[in-house]
Formats: sequence, structure tokens, C-alpha cells
Amino acid sequence: MATATYPPPPPYYRLYKDYLQNPKSAPEPPPPIEGTYVCFGSNYTTDDVLPTLEEQGVRQLYPKGPNIDFKKELRSLNRELQLHILELADVLVERPSQYARRVEEISLIFKNLHHLLNSLRPHQARATLIHILELQIQRRKQAVEDIKRRREEARKLLKESIATLDGN
Amino acid sequence: MDIISQLQEQVNTIAALAFNTFGTLQRDAHPVKLSPNYPDPPPPSNPTEDPATAAGNVSEQPKLMTAALVKAAKQFDALVAALPPAEGGEDVQLKRIAELQAENDAVGQELQRQLEAAEKELKEVQELFGQATDNCLNLKRPD
Repeated sequence: MATATYPPPPPYYRLYKDYLQNPKSAPEPPPPIEGTYVCFGSNYTTDDVLPTLEEQGVRQLYPKGPNIDFKKELRSLNRELQLHILELADVLVERPSQYARRVEEISLIFKNLHHLLNSLRPHQARATLIHILELQIQRRKQAVEDIKRRREEARKLLKESIATLDGN
Repeated sequence: MDIISQLQEQVNTIAALAFNTFGTLQRDAHPVKLSPNYPDPPPPSNPTEDPATAAGNVSEQPKLMTAALVKAAKQFDALVAALPPAEGGEDVQLKRIAELQAENDAVGQELQRQLEAAEKELKEVQELFGQATDNCLNLKRPD
């Protein structure tokens, strides 16, 4: 079975021979890509935004608006789902040939549920970022306090040692 | 797992329970009588052979499955209640992030200053220590 060897590293490393002595003699790293780019033959975009339901051709059941009360909407969608499942059971008993419409409605509710949950993700990302920043600030303040304390201790020790040496 | 992933998993679980319920009912239901002229089908010869009917009679299974469905729906409600309160909107969060970044920069600079001062003092102490030891060694009479 023929196996291919790994490709060699790109030859740019020769340009960085004197990087330690003169950081400006070597080329800068490439700037970050903006917009769309092609990777292994397929297109990717750097602007990751959740497409709205209308763009996917799905009716939106929960109200649009700047601030959505996620908990209330999730709970009401859950109730709708349960009602529709019951409706489907009823239809199967009485008018079995009309199941398709009910199944469509149930899948519509599921799509809305998932879209609502996905739209919570950016909010979660920002909340995580806030949490991380707060933790980092707390750690840095702690480090500053530690350094101050150690410097004080070192100064005190030096003074004491000078006192002992002078005493001799 | 974070709360949103749990909610998504719960939605998928409810969907799976729903179609399993309907599929099982459809598979195990008695055939419908189309006309009174057709004779009834022969009763199943050995009920204990068929594991589906042995596990729970045709009347037991819907109860169990619907109980599971309702339990899953209640769990979804509990998870929704466990969501953290949505404090403000996107702008409030972005403003808070900007504030925290500014504070982080300030504290970072303070940390850098303290670090540089501490390193300077360390160098001084090391130099003095070197001098002291040199003096000690030089005062020793070579014998």
C-alpha cells in the first residue's frame, strides 16, 4: 500500500535566521483574514451569524423584537408542543389520513425551539467573556498584592540583617 | 454540560420519545375492523411468545410511554427555570465588557510596574550579596 510522506515545512523559515538579533529583518505574519475565504475547496465565512428563521423558509412562532423573554417563550413553545402531540394522537384515532399537517406543525415547533436556543448562544458567549475578564482582574489584583507583600518582607529582612551586621 | 446544551439535548429527547411512542403504538395496535362482514382475525396463539406483549400489555405501554414523555417535558420546564436571569440586552453586556477591559488594562499595567520594581530590587540585592561575599572571601587570610 503506497503511503505519502508528510509535506515538508514551508521554506519561509530561512527568512527568520536573524530574528533574535533584529526582529525587523524578518517578514511580519500575514494579517487576519476578513470576509469569505476558500479552504480545501469549500467556502467559509469569518462572519458567523445565525440565519433567521425566515431565511430558512420556516415560520417564526415566537414574537420578534429587541429583547425576547427567553424563558417565557421556551415554556409556551413547550406547552404548544405537548398540545400538538395530543392533537396528533387524536387525529390518528379519528381521521388518520390527516396526520401530515399535524406532523408538519410539530416539526415547525421543534425548529422554532432549536432556533430560540441557538439564539441564546451569543448571549452566553458574552456572559462567559465577562466572567473570564472578572476572574482575570481578580487574579491580577491578587498577584499585585503578593508582589507588594514579598517586597515588604524582603526590605524588612534586609533591614534586620543590616542591623545584625552593624551590631557586630 | 452547560445549560443550553442540556436544553438542546432535552428537546431532542422529547422528539425521540414522541416518535418512539407513536411508532410503538402504530406497530402494536390491533387491526381496525373495516366492515362487520369480515371475520375477526384468529386470537394470538401464545401471548408469552411475543416479547412485546410480554413486556407490558397493549394497554400498559401507552401509559409508560406517555408518562416518560410528560416527565421529559417537565424536566425541560425545570431546565428553563434554571436558566440564569437575562440581565439586560446586548448593549449592556458590551458596555460591561468594555469597562472590564479598561480595568483589566489598568490592573495589568500596575502589575507590570510592581514586577519591574521587584526585579530591579532583586538585581540590587544579588549585586550587594555578591559584593559582601567577595569581601568575606578577600578578608580571609590565605593560609
